[in-house]
Amino acid sequence: MILTSSNTLENKEIIEYKGLVTGESLIGANIYKDLFSGVRDVVGGRTSRYEEEIQKARDIALDSMIEKAESLGANAIIGLKIGYDNLGGTMGNTILVTAYGTAIKFE
Amino acid sequence: MKLKYKEYDIEFRRKAILCIALGTAVGLIVYGIFLFFHIDIYGWNLGLIFAPLAAGYAETIIANRMLNENLGAISAFILFIDTTIYSFILKNPTLGFNLITAGSIIVILQAAFPTLVNYILLVVLGGIISGFLKHLRYLARRIKKAIDNRPIFFWDSSNREIKTIVVPYFDEKESNEKLNSLDFFFITSTDMKNRPHEIVGIYQSEVILEKDTSLVQLDPKLIEKKKLKNIKEGKDKCLIKLARQIKDDGGNGVIDLSINYSLIGLGGDNIQITAMGMGINLI
Repeated sequence: MILTSSNTLENKEIIEYKGLVTGESLIGANIYKDLFSGVRDVVGGRTSRYEEEIQKARDIALDSMIEKAESLGANAIIGLKIGYDNLGGTMGNTILVTAYGTAIKFE
Repeated sequence: MKLKYKEYDIEFRRKAILCIALGTAVGLIVYGIFLFFHIDIYGWNLGLIFAPLAAGYAETIIANRMLNENLGAISAFILFIDTTIYSFILKNPTLGFNLITAGSIIVILQAAFPTLVNYILLVVLGGIISGFLKHLRYLARRIKKAIDNRPIFFWDSSNREIKTIVVPYFDEKESNEKLNSLDFFFITSTDMKNRPHEIVGIYQSEVILEKDTSLVQLDPKLIEKKKLKNIKEGKDKCLIKLARQIKDDGGNGVIDLSINYSLIGLGGDNIQITAMGMGINLI
């Protein structure tokens, strides 16, 4: 499965637009994660625990999207967009990761 | 003898008035300096504290040297009245009563009447708090006694009804297939290559997901699941709404589609899902 954020695939011909495919995942509150990330904010450095969690969430969203594209008989996703939104309200500890694009079949 | 004493008394009074006047002058100069240099905290001039203190201090030193006596820092009291009238009435007549002004009044009163205010704060207030705690302890003892005297019941947890909340399964594949079988093209790219089409217009649709109060009773993992399910359903609704709008205007697809999620409402309780794109008609 080819994933691209561009409108077309270079040197490839799109033969069919299969439709929209989406994938979402959520990273919830975790007191330890939040605590250590807070400490990192003060002392500096990378909050690798958070990075790992976000990466994991993005992978889940992408996998879900790819699975749907495959079920539609597509072999690429173009116009891919990935979004990160904070849905934690005043606490700010829930992150929504979304991935969506257009499933296509190319030759 | 009487006359001599009377003369001494007049002389003493003159010197005392001079001491008070000098103390007041020092206080006014100090207050002037604080005002001139704007030595403020949140708009509240620190001169209101330091001017009476300086006046009282200067008066005491001068009185000790001239009369070998302490006059009781009368100039501090004069300064307190002067500064309060100037700052709270003349300079700022619209000043309302709030936490800062209440605190300021206490601090000014403390500077002007330290013994009285300290007595009120430490003895009277302390006494009230200690009395309140005493009554609270008494009440707690009474409640404990009443509980201890009650017959003991054993709670049989085997008959307890366990409330389980199950988050219904959301079939993503089915929802996606349904979305793509609407005889409508959802395209996230900005163009459809080799597919002639005409532009219908720009379209936008919104769906607001209100705060789900039932989530309070769930554990964090279930909250996430339920929230995500609500978001997915909301997104589908939003896309269908967008497609309907375009279809009503004679279109059969959307290009440059974007889906956005944002928090709205006080404290960000509600989630707004927005779908936006260019409606097209594939020829």
